[in-house]
Order: sequence, then C-alpha cells, then structure tokens
Amino acid sequence: MSQATSSGGVPPALRPWVLPVLILLLWWWAVASGWSTSPLLVSPWAVWEKALQQITSGDLWAALSASLWRNAQGFVAGASAGLAVGVLLGWSRWAERLVGPSFHTLKQISLFAWIPMLSMWFGLGDGAKIAFIAMAAFFPMVLNTFEGLRSVPREFIEVGRVYGFGFRQQLTRVIAPSAAPSVFTGVQLALIYSWLATLGSEYLMASGPGIGNTLIDGREHFQMDLVLFGVVVIGLVGSVLNAATGALERRLLAWRDRTVARY
Amino acid sequence: MSSSPGATASLPSPASVAPAHSGGTARWRPPLRWLWAWPFPLALLLLWHLSSVLGWAPEQVLPPPAQVFRTFADMVASGEIWTNLEISLVRVFTGFGIGLLAGLVLGSVMGLSSAARDYLYPLFKAFAQVPVIGWLPLLMLLVGIDEALKFLLIAKATLVPVTLNTCQGIQGVPNRLIEVARVYGFSRWQMLTRVVFPVATAPIWNGVRYGLTHAWLALVVVELLASSEGIGFLIVYGRQLFQLDVVLASVLAVGIVGFAIDRLLSLTEAWLLRWRKPGL
Amino acid sequence: MAHAGTLDIRGLNKRYEVKGQPLPVLHDINLTIKPGEFVSIVGTSGCGKSTLLRLIIGLEEDYEGEILLDGTRVRGTNLNRGIVFQEHRLFPWLTVEKNIALGLLNSGLTEGQQRATIREHIELVGLNGFEKAYPHQLSGGMSQRVAIARALVNRPDILLLDEPFGALDAMTRAHLQQELHRIWQTEGITMILVTHDVEEAVYLGDKVVVMEPRPGRIRRTVPVPLAHPRDRASYAFTTVKDNVLREFGEHSAAELAEPPLKTARPDTSTWQFAV
Repeated sequence: MSQATSSGGVPPALRPWVLPVLILLLWWWAVASGWSTSPLLVSPWAVWEKALQQITSGDLWAALSASLWRNAQGFVAGASAGLAVGVLLGWSRWAERLVGPSFHTLKQISLFAWIPMLSMWFGLGDGAKIAFIAMAAFFPMVLNTFEGLRSVPREFIEVGRVYGFGFRQQLTRVIAPSAAPSVFTGVQLALIYSWLATLGSEYLMASGPGIGNTLIDGREHFQMDLVLFGVVVIGLVGSVLNAATGALERRLLAWRDRTVARY
Repeated sequence: MSSSPGATASLPSPASVAPAHSGGTARWRPPLRWLWAWPFPLALLLLWHLSSVLGWAPEQVLPPPAQVFRTFADMVASGEIWTNLEISLVRVFTGFGIGLLAGLVLGSVMGLSSAARDYLYPLFKAFAQVPVIGWLPLLMLLVGIDEALKFLLIAKATLVPVTLNTCQGIQGVPNRLIEVARVYGFSRWQMLTRVVFPVATAPIWNGVRYGLTHAWLALVVVELLASSEGIGFLIVYGRQLFQLDVVLASVLAVGIVGFAIDRLLSLTEAWLLRWRKPGL
Repeated sequence: MAHAGTLDIRGLNKRYEVKGQPLPVLHDINLTIKPGEFVSIVGTSGCGKSTLLRLIIGLEEDYEGEILLDGTRVRGTNLNRGIVFQEHRLFPWLTVEKNIALGLLNSGLTEGQQRATIREHIELVGLNGFEKAYPHQLSGGMSQRVAIARALVNRPDILLLDEPFGALDAMTRAHLQQELHRIWQTEGITMILVTHDVEEAVYLGDKVVVMEPRPGRIRRTVPVPLAHPRDRASYAFTTVKDNVLREFGEHSAAELAEPPLKTARPDTSTWQFAV
C-alpha cells in the first residue's frame, strides 16, 4: 500500500476539508453566476438562513423531538420484545424448533413492505408508526440475542461446573457476559433500523410532525433549502447515534481487543 | 454443582465418529427437524381462518386466507406479479450493479492510497450518515420520479457497504502476507492480484452481501413511495384500494424474492470462499 | 502446603452410545495414585486419556467401576479437585486476578482471605505485575499460567492437567514444565498430567502410565526412578524414555514424536441448554 508521502501536497490535517470546501465553492459559484436558472438551485446561504429560521422558530425542535420520541418508544418496545424472544429461542430448543423457522422466514420480508399492511390495520397515527419502528428494532435484536446465547462456549460452562457454579452463577458469570457482545450488536443494529423505520414511517404514514415530514413538505413545495437542511439534520442525528453507541461499546466491551464494524 | 450429562461430550476419536449426545441417559431427539417448523405457522393459519369464519374482524381488515391465496394465484396466472417483479428485479440489479462497480472502485482507491483516504473518507463517511431514505426527497426534487431516481437510490444503498468493506478489507490484509510477497520480489501488480485482493475477497464479499440486502430494501421503499409499477407499487395499489389480499399477496412475493436473494448469496459465498475454514 | 489426596480407580469402564451402538472408551482401568505423587499418562489419540480426566474431575459421570478420592466416591465436580485444560479457558471479559478469583467464588473464603490467596498464587506462577491484564493481552504461556493459578487457588487435593502445554511452542513448553515441577515441589499436591509428549511425561512424572486405544486401557506403567532435577540429555533419562516409547512400537512413531497440531484457540462449539 502506498505511503502517505506528499511532499508539497496538502498537510494531512487539512485534507478532509479540501473536497467539501471545493464543493461548497463550486455550489456558491453556480448560483452566483446564474449558471442554472432552475428554482431548485438555491445558494448555500439560503440553506443556512433556512436552518436559522427553523431553529429559532422552534420548528426544528418540534419536528425532531416528535421523531426522536417516536423512535425511542418504538425502539424500547421492539428491542425489549426482541430480547425476550431472542432469549426464548436461544434458551429453549423446542421454542427454536417450533418458532425459529417461521421467524427466519418473516425476517426475509423487506422491512418497509409491512407498512401498507400496518397502515391498513392501525391507521396513520403515532400508534401505527411506533408499531412499525418496534418491528424494525425487533428483528435484529432477536437474531443477535439468539446468536449470542447459542454461541456460549461449552468450555466456559465446564469451567463453571469445575468451580461448582450453581445455575444462577452460570447465568450471571458465564452466559450473560459471553452473550453480551452479540446482544450489544443487536442493540446497535436495532437502533440503526429503528431510526430508518422512523423516517420511513413518516414518509409512508404522513401525518403529524416529524423530521421526515419536514422533508416531505419541502419536496412537495419545491423548497430545496428546507430539504437540504433536513438532510443535514438527519445525517447529524445518524452520526450522533453512531458515536454514542460506539463510545458505549468501547466502555462496556473494553475487554475485547477489537471493535466489530457493523453496517 | 454438576448437572446431568446434558453437555455434548467430545469423543476420543473425533475423526471417525461424529459427536453424539453423551450416552447413558439417552435424550430423545425428535426426528425430522423440518417437520417441527410447521405446527406454529399452521396454528396461526388456523387462527386466521377461524377469525375470518367467526367474523372477529371485518373482511376488509382481515380477509380469509383462502381468498388471499386465490388472489395470489390469480395474480400469478394473470402475469401481474411477474411483470411487476421483473420490473423490480431489473431495477434492483441495475442499481446494484452501478453501486457495486462504483463501490469497488472507490473502496479500492481509498484502501490502497492513504492520500486518497485522507481526502475522500471523511466526506464519504458524512455522506453515508444519511440513509437512503433521507436522500429520497432531495433526489425526487432533482431527478423526478423516473427510473433515474430508483437507480440512484439503489446505487447509493449498495455503494456505502461495498465501499466501506472494500476499503477496510484491503487495509486489513495482514502485513505478514505482504512481507512474504516482498521477499519473493512481487511486482506491484502481482502484489495486488495475488495477495491483496484474494485476501480482501472475504470482507469485500461481506460488503457485497450487505449491499444487495440494502439494495433490495431501498427498492421496496422507492417503489412504495414513488412508482407506478413494480412489486412495491403493487403493495401500495392494494393498500389504496383497501384490498388486503392484494397487499398480502404482494408482500408474499417480496418475501419470496428476499429469500431467493439470500439463498443466492449463500450459494455464491460457499463457492467463492470455499477455501475458508468453516466457523471462525 | 496443601493436603494431597490418594486417588483410587478400580475397574473403571466407560461407554458412549453412537447411533445406537455402544462405543467402549475406557476398559478396566485400575490405577492407584499415592498422595503427593506426580503421575504422567501418555497415549495416542483415542486412548481415552482425556475422558479419564473428565471422569475424575466429575464433568462426566456415567461410568462403571469406582473412582475414590481419599476413600470417598467421586460425585460430580468439587473444589477439592482441580483441572487445567489444554485451552486456557480464561474468561476474556475478566482480568487476570478476577479470573483467578472465579475459582474462589464458592469457596466460602472472606474477601480479605481471597485477596491474599490470589496474590499468593499470582506470585506462585510468576505473573506479578499482570494482575489487571486482560487475557487478550497475554501470551499463550502466560494465559496457561493464569489457568494453573486458577486451578490451584482452592488448594485442591488433586490437580489434573489435560495436555496443558500442547498448544505452546517448544521453548515456552520447556519453561512451563520447569515451572510446573517447581510448583509441584512447593505445594506437594497430587498431580496427574495427560500428555502426548513422552519427554514431558518422563521429565515430570514419578511414573508414566502408558495407555492404548480401542478400547482405552492401561498397557503398562513405567516407573521413573530418577532424582530431581532431571537432565533430559542424560543416559538414565533417555533409557526411561525409550522404555516408554517402546510400548508404542506397533503404532506410528510419528504420532508421538510431535504433539499433534491443535489450534490454541478454544473450540467454540455451541452449548445447548438442556430444555
């Protein structure tokens, strides 16, 4: 692999900024020079102003908090249900035999395909959205919890037996810590998917406030600045979520010598 | 406290004999594992049938299973499912192809050149923070709701995992293998083709798998929101007519495709990575 | 000094059921081990030596015959019998001292007593300074030393070692053999070592029990009347070693010259909850 020699190039610390700045300049120039007459081509400044307006008017807060609150509710409901079912499937061979295949079949169905059905049953309100978000968090949680429980090494259980561990001790000192990384991965995936589901539910069950609705509104009214602003907000929320779970993972699972990348 | 011999015991001659549950108190092992997959779904089906017979829910909300299957059969026979599926599949594979190519190129460039990584990676990470669903309204404004929208979104969905995995796969080639290549005087080309990419195949393949899964996910979303044909459209169509049987039949089709894609991926993986030891 | 126990094995037979057919694994094992003795068990794959250890430690229970420790029948696992496995089996989420503390979980000792004995045993295996390290930070040899400390921390009457150094390189192995010998001399516990390595068996043991497979049984017991410290290059040593190796005449010598290749990583076979 090539070395990072760049005699006379841009110093490494500044490199991440080169392209974004160039793009920004290009964008601003495209607008200022009148290169395109499309009303869609708004200037970067317009986006900035829109951002300020949204923040100061409290619109952003209203939309974001509505979305995040729904996200939280759905995530908690779905993840806890997922944990319970995952434990059941991982624990009981019978449960796994009977319910496992059906579960694996259901998870094949692309997540968003469920929305129309849910909207027929539950309408377009918050309840329907939260139900969908919970579903999105449910599947990865079950899978990873199940996986974590299943892959507790027999060798460790035997160590517990050699030292006279009772059932509770095996559970708390061997099984739970051993399954923890997988469960945590499940939590991370559940967070990601529930955020996707939050946005998707706002598009497809368009009613009430939400950051997804902000984007839809922007699109319907051809307000590019609003849409761009919304995109930035969504990106920021996503990265905050990622950073938070990453930090949590490093703290809780510090005993591992590698972090596991998840997409 | 020791438990009964429930732990599987490894036999002294592992080569000749497959591990069995320890003898003595032989545990009853149910025959034909696949049979046991059926009771649960069949019970649900029965419940469903009963609920429609007994009128627990209006027919609009919960049509009888027989009707759903009949609708599905009709849609298959009339070709409605096939034409729409075909459109969807063409879209997803085209978008996937674009995203795959772009992802492999971008990922390789970033993986091989740390300078490129310095310039591109942060921007790419920022770009990746916004999910496909976030880009949808923006792209709808820019390119309308034609095929271009679908291709772009599906390509984006594919691009992110493929790029990330390719980049990290290349970076993660163990130094010790590179050193072997240097000892034998490999040219740069030989290094790439005989060491770097073969080793990176496994993580790259992982990216491809995620890419296809996300591509399919993106396709369904796009078709639900902005399409007048395709399998996602069928679902919305059924929804708008408040015909749950059409919706369910289409969801079934989506599930089957999802399953088929998964199968295809497993088979390809088994072939592609046949040199790898199973498990870790 | 820990109390050393007498191990009596009489008429031990063990069978597995494979697809309905019985597979005899151990046949008529009779062995007496005196308190404080160090017994090495050698044999090729399939002779049941690991199974024998698992029966003694109580991880497997279904057998015919008797296994008596100080006259009492062995029933399940107990803190008076310790074992060191081939894979170190340290819990990756615990530090070195917490891993050793695991052995004391059910020992009834007070916290102060636990801390003292953990410190003592870390010193015993020569790992001072590594108390707060995690297993992934340790080398194979060091991990195995932690495993030994964990096995000894309860001061068991008898310590079993199932090919403990098989996954280590030759130099670490030689070093740890010396360490084990030193620990044995200091603690004076009865020890049973199962190994493929005949030299290791002769170096450490007061006697070498030779087992043969299909079904697993004791072929011969070779006494090792050599004083410690033993010189591996000495004539007397080589004679005993040859004595043992001769027992394997009809089997492939190659199998014994080198311990078979095993991965150092624990085999992550799944554990099924018995529901």
